Amino acid sequence: MRIAVAGKGGVGKTTISGSLARLLSRRAGGALAVDGDSNPNLAVALGLPQKEAMNLPTVPRDVMERRFDAAGEERLMLALTPEEIADRYGIDAPDGVRLLVLGRVGHAGTG
Amino acid sequence: MCRNHATVRSLLAELVGTSRGPIVADMEAGLENFSRGTPRHVDTLLVVMEPYFRSLETAGRAFELGRELGIPKIAAVANKVRNDEDAQAIRDFCGARAIPISGWIPYDEGVLAAERAGRALLDQPGPSGAAVAAISKLADSLGAA
Repeated sequence: MRIAVAGKGGVGKTTISGSLARLLSRRAGGALAVDGDSNPNLAVALGLPQKEAMNLPTVPRDVMERRFDAAGEERLMLALTPEEIADRYGIDAPDGVRLLVLGRVGHAGTG
Repeated sequence: MCRNHATVRSLLAELVGTSRGPIVADMEAGLENFSRGTPRHVDTLLVVMEPYFRSLETAGRAFELGRELGIPKIAAVANKVRNDEDAQAIRDFCGARAIPISGWIPYDEGVLAAERAGRALLDQPGPSGAAVAAISKLADSLGAA
């Protein structure tokens, strides 16, 4: 089950994502929560203390590397398995959820 | 295209594609960090909406993008629904676009109280709120899918 949650800021997207991740984790014996939004709110919504939520490790960009896929196209692919990434850069949250925060996106136009 | 965004998109697509177990990804509002590769791996897109114009407008764009990307299951989650008028506004909006509605979450003071306290909704003390019950129901329906 791979769910993406979207919606305008302030609609309750993050509260719902955090609650849903914990409820699904209780049922499945673990779940991965991914913070693809560039703010630390998912951590709080999952139940991590605010202080901790403000200083979360993020998944560094160098876990991606350029490789050629089967079709000979150059693609960015993971240099580690998702399990390794979750182990190294994830944070434990209540109900067996592992939280991964994708790197904060810098200023627009820096790329 | 911003390289940072490209990396986040690729990372998300790869992570979601190869992990086991349930994954819940909290996306940026405009789905900026979806790549074309993501929907090969995301099976469900939930679009959270409130019954007012700007929220519905953003939701409408998320649906269109989700459909363009080919995500198999796209559904609405109505949030902060206070009354029949709210529910009807959501029904009208989704009905006109043939969007299924997977969850109805009522307006619940407990959500605000949890936010004020900087606490998870599930850890909010006191009687279990209507919002928690509704999200739990949503989790059950997703599990059955």
